[in-house]
Amino acid sequence: MHLKPKVIWIDAIGCNGCSHSFFNLPYLSTLLEKLDILYHPLLESDEFKIQESDILVIEGALKDIKKFDSNLLTIIEKLFVNTKRVIALGSCASFGGMFGEGLIFNKEKLGKFYPCKNKVINLPGCPIHPEWLGYIFDMLIENKPILLDEENRPKEIYSFVSHSGCIRNEYFDWKVDSDDFGSKEGCLFYNQGCQGPFTHSSCNKILWNEVSSKPRAGTPCFGCTERNFPKENLFKTDTMMGIPSKIPLGVTKRAYLTLAGIAKSLKNERLEKRLFEYEKTNNKNRG
Amino acid sequence: MKKLITKIEGEATLQIQGDEVVEWVDIEFHQFRGIEKYLENKHYMDALVINPRVCGICGHSHLIATAKAIENAFEAELSDKAKYIRELTLNFEIIENHIKWFYITLFPTQIKDKKYLFKALQFSQKISQAIALIAGQYPHNSYAIPGGITSDITYLDLTKVKNILLELQKFENEIWDDFDLFFKNLPKETGKSNNRFLTKDLDISKVKEIQNNPYQNVTYDGLYYETGPLARMKKNIEFVYQEYEDSIYSRIYARVYEIFYLINKNIEIISLVDLSEKSYIKPKIISNKGYSIIEAPRGILIHEIEILNEKIKRYNIIVPTQFNLSNGTKENPSAAQKAMINERKEYLDTIFKCFDICAVCVGH
Amino acid sequence: MREEKKEVIMRTALSLFAKKGFYSTTIADIAKEMGMSVGNMYNYFASKEALAKELLLYTSKKFGSEIKKINEQNITSKEKIEKIIELYFNMAVNEPEVVDYFMRVYLSNKEIFNNGCEGMLCVSAFVTEIMIFFEEGVRKKELKNQDFFVAFGLFMGYIGGIVFLNNDGVLPKPLTEYTKDVSENIYNALKA
Repeated sequence: MHLKPKVIWIDAIGCNGCSHSFFNLPYLSTLLEKLDILYHPLLESDEFKIQESDILVIEGALKDIKKFDSNLLTIIEKLFVNTKRVIALGSCASFGGMFGEGLIFNKEKLGKFYPCKNKVINLPGCPIHPEWLGYIFDMLIENKPILLDEENRPKEIYSFVSHSGCIRNEYFDWKVDSDDFGSKEGCLFYNQGCQGPFTHSSCNKILWNEVSSKPRAGTPCFGCTERNFPKENLFKTDTMMGIPSKIPLGVTKRAYLTLAGIAKSLKNERLEKRLFEYEKTNNKNRG
Repeated sequence: MKKLITKIEGEATLQIQGDEVVEWVDIEFHQFRGIEKYLENKHYMDALVINPRVCGICGHSHLIATAKAIENAFEAELSDKAKYIRELTLNFEIIENHIKWFYITLFPTQIKDKKYLFKALQFSQKISQAIALIAGQYPHNSYAIPGGITSDITYLDLTKVKNILLELQKFENEIWDDFDLFFKNLPKETGKSNNRFLTKDLDISKVKEIQNNPYQNVTYDGLYYETGPLARMKKNIEFVYQEYEDSIYSRIYARVYEIFYLINKNIEIISLVDLSEKSYIKPKIISNKGYSIIEAPRGILIHEIEILNEKIKRYNIIVPTQFNLSNGTKENPSAAQKAMINERKEYLDTIFKCFDICAVCVGH
Repeated sequence: MREEKKEVIMRTALSLFAKKGFYSTTIADIAKEMGMSVGNMYNYFASKEALAKELLLYTSKKFGSEIKKINEQNITSKEKIEKIIELYFNMAVNEPEVVDYFMRVYLSNKEIFNNGCEGMLCVSAFVTEIMIFFEEGVRKKELKNQDFFVAFGLFMGYIGGIVFLNNDGVLPKPLTEYTKDVSENIYNALKA
């Protein structure tokens, strides 16, 4: 990779959410100075043409549709062959997502480009966090090796789980489950379908928009970095006779149930009640 | 002659008739995903995760429209707190869309300079952050659910949001200067259209979708109307509208105006929020039909849902770009088509993009 | 050595509790039966309450490890139910003091166990195994997915009730001869 890598960023079939998320990267202007963007679907660039590149970013899923007076799959194949590294940006390109097929993996089967998987870095997420892509670009620019897991996801991002760093962890530990939506207290794992404990991501480690995450805002993690995203009944926890069918990674069911049972039997009084209550006020000049 | 328009959240092809001046133009979109079909038989709550993914720039509007359509079906009750907070984040998305469109999509049609991209991002990153302070993340959150919101924010959070708004207000003069710069070499009277406007206060029975496989054109009372910021802000910018009618000048002016109008609106809303109210009131789940009509960044957005035993039996989405960029006829042209007719081809890109097109939304 | 001695003390205590009742049995009684001094007894158990809790952990663990063996077998839920009932009924017949302790001391005198054995804390070894049995059954689509406590109450209440009747001398047949019918009823109630 020479000093200013040539990047082609192509949109397959998706929503452009990953591009818009990427635009939230705080150091974007500095990063763009280090890249030669030959094409991007939203940023001002030269007209698209099939050409060689150092990095090919594919956003969106593969589908047999018309694109630029040609066919999307034909275009992707030609670009793929004429590049050095491919970034499958987002869950659509990594695993197929909702709209089509992924590059090297689909939900259950392998993808069309699996034979060339060593060329591909998967960055699943719906959308991706801008820092994840910023990091990969930087590593590629500097020619540093990137550690990948069995699904070609960078380990530095995906070895953590959404659960790591969630401010509701105390409630998880003491098994104080949220009864319903709309409160800052309570764990969302048991009743609201939170997939945090078994979803590989860094969402509570590198916060979203530098400030928050879905579980902090009371929304359960939907497991969007995993191959099977989206599953059905995203706001419900699958249980078998009341026992969650998916449990935190690395723990046996027996161990989890024992710990959960102990936690449920003992009480953390501070966590059993609301942290504080607002008084009803008619004061308009408060905010 | 064929002209491919890119950078509009996707692409579109214009089939143009005419030599120096446009006599007629057909509008063709390319992408289609079939999300309405994908939603069938899913649990109704899953729509709150799927629908924001209709679009990466206006997904939040789809989320709010989904929650409201379900609430309409359930006849659900919301606290004022939930209503105000949802209005806050929806307005934020509109502001962010206008800024991005103005500097990233529209500006390059006349002035190509990277610095405007970064100016836009400075703004939009702050707005995304404001949304995340309330909804967890941006883009693609699902914090609005039938019955209210999932978040339980504090006055500390609102203080941070308000300060972002106050910082953004400082940019007002600068952005209007850029607006004037944009029109330095551009005739202000171009792009006049049907001069027929529609806002969300409409009679839904008069909205008709006409097949244009796989897309749909949308008429209201048999005619094509224009929806969006100009339709919304017309009475606020009476002086501009009277002089320029519905030319590109008014259309762009309305969008820039709406940015600061909504910033002010949000500051006002924050002072009204009473956090002692409930964030979420559990609705009664019934099998029923419902719909919602909201003002999204580009105009009217309609969601219709039919719920049977907690599953989605049918879902229909009508996006603003369908209203504005329908492929009409010479006798009955859509707003965008009328705007391009009798105009010089050199202005086509600008005139077309004035309607702030979202190609991914059309291909839902 | 110490652990073995502890176990013998516990078994002695169990049989005394079964014969004389929990409240009537003192540490001195147990020590006398063991041929130990009371002072030495206190080296093993700080108080009668401490002994009571340890007994609970001991009996749960025992029952739990037996159910674990059944859980780990590659058989159907129906067969597992029968084996668990068989296990429980056999225990009721061959080690009646264990079952007696559980039903007459633990369930009937909760106040003894309030400090340190809250909720299901000290019986988790065996409750966890029942949970695993149920979860596997639902996962394999052999058992109906329902609220855990509804199923648990049915299971434990039923077998506890039969053992209770047995201890009252009311049942015409030996307890173990009821294994098949009781298992079938439970399976029919829980099956998918």
